[in-house]
Amino acid sequence: MTAQAHTRWSYPRPYGSGTILALIGAALLLWYTGQRVEIGRMVMMTTQAVAVQFGLADQSQVADGLGNAIGQLVPIQLSERQEISRIEDFDPADLPFLSHIELVERRAETINPQTMRMESRPVRTTYLVQPLGYVWLVAAKMLETLEIALWGTIVAILIGFPLALLSARNMMRFAAIRMVARGIIGFCRAVPELVSALFLVIAYGFGPIAGILALGLYGAGFLGKFYADDAENADPRPQEALTAIGAGKMLMWRYAILPQILPQYIAYTLYILDRNVRMATVIGLVGAGGIGQELKGRYDMYEYGHVGTILIAIFIVVLLLDRSAGRLRKSLL
Amino acid sequence: MMDIRFDNSMVHYPDGTCALDGVSFTVPAGQFCVVLGHSGAGKSTLLRTVNGLSAITGGRVVVGGKPVDRKTLPLLRRRIGMVHQHYGLTARASVATNVMAGAVPAMPFWRALSGFYTPAWQDKACALIAAVGLEEAHLARRADRLSGGQQQRVGIARAFMLDPAIILADEPVASLDPRLSREVLDLLRTQARERGATVLCSLHQVDLARDYADRIIALQGGRVVFDGPPAMFDDYDARRIYAKQDAAAPVQAVLA
Repeated sequence: MTAQAHTRWSYPRPYGSGTILALIGAALLLWYTGQRVEIGRMVMMTTQAVAVQFGLADQSQVADGLGNAIGQLVPIQLSERQEISRIEDFDPADLPFLSHIELVERRAETINPQTMRMESRPVRTTYLVQPLGYVWLVAAKMLETLEIALWGTIVAILIGFPLALLSARNMMRFAAIRMVARGIIGFCRAVPELVSALFLVIAYGFGPIAGILALGLYGAGFLGKFYADDAENADPRPQEALTAIGAGKMLMWRYAILPQILPQYIAYTLYILDRNVRMATVIGLVGAGGIGQELKGRYDMYEYGHVGTILIAIFIVVLLLDRSAGRLRKSLL
Repeated sequence: MMDIRFDNSMVHYPDGTCALDGVSFTVPAGQFCVVLGHSGAGKSTLLRTVNGLSAITGGRVVVGGKPVDRKTLPLLRRRIGMVHQHYGLTARASVATNVMAGAVPAMPFWRALSGFYTPAWQDKACALIAAVGLEEAHLARRADRLSGGQQQRVGIARAFMLDPAIILADEPVASLDPRLSREVLDLLRTQARERGATVLCSLHQVDLARDYADRIIALQGGRVVFDGPPAMFDDYDARRIYAKQDAAAPVQAVLA
């Protein structure tokens, strides 16, 4: 009886007309934009490149291009060779660790001013060779990159945290101040690091300072927003309990909000540190210090072996960081 | 010792609802006064006007001879402890921190912010935690790992940290079972008596009100419909205040 009554109900449809309309709209948008950015060509070229690997096609522009690029990166550069005549205060008795001196003799064509004829004569140059010299240099640059990331994160906290307190509804009573703080936070997040680094390099010159500030400003925008959102979403009951006994906003934050949201605060900050390490390698490309600056310099001088070493170093660091950051986050939450 | 005087106090919300519609009575210092009423009768609002969590829109609330307003509130609030229905504890903070939070407005700011409390405050927190029946082992435990009854004990310890002259208890046992309710009310009553605090406690259980109150105030639709000693609060009164809001008209108060 009741079962029969139930069968007469009309069960709600899984998709309404609005959903279907939205799907059609999305499909049209994808079709139109896909044509403009040549998605078809992308798929075709990639397929061709894969086909070459299995012997199904003769030639592929993509496979050749990639092959060329990778071919130029190897062999990667490990050693560093320096002409001794260019080293100041060189002391052959006190060579750097693991290094040796190499004597290279080659023939140089010069004009003899008396006879006005080209003459070929041997020229000797001595080099100081450090077998792992370039690896050490990359490691030092990598360390600088990590330092930029660390200080970028510290700057992000120092700027983002006060902005978060000023922009959280339960911390700041005046809507006008909240709006200004939210505006600054939004602006910081809207400017990508690479763009702000371009301008900061002009202002502060080449080097780590521009990088630290660029990372710090973006991080402040990110942390400011999430610190504030979490403070607003925290359980209001302990906050009221603190207000009821006459505690001010800062003590309310310290006793009723911070303990609740500390794990999230730490998680966001670790994310920014993680992101900063990856971004610090990129913003070096515009001269903001670290490994990126070295990469750009070598790339511009067509020294692709050096570029290969740098790319491997970046890969290793990002991989290690990924694993340790994940583990750290898990142990905190 | 402080008394609380409601003088034609009114709270009208901007949307037109009226939470308190002209309430007048005085709670003498040291009394354990229970406010009864069904949900929405204005019990919470009445309590919250005493420490300014709800602003009155008419009349006056006078605490210890001082009218509650924006000027007197900051100092007044330190003399008024509050016990909350959902305990109001900070979930991830320890029992010790939650109890100490009840004293932070009275400490130097840097001590409160940094957590380096003076030994005097530490001793006081420990003594109160012991007084509400918890052990030393509970000190470092997270507040949300305690049972409901234990959480409300922490809430009571916090409320007494600044030796309040007044305790506002807003449905302190609404989330507890009957046996725990009696334990918590026993505790609240003995602590208040020992420390000479006036208690304004809202409840919705008539039997608990009869057993613990020195005096019962019953509210309905934001008006006082009964005021007298528990012995005079009979089943007829109980049925009336839990009947439909528009069914009963306010009656003359019977004074204790």
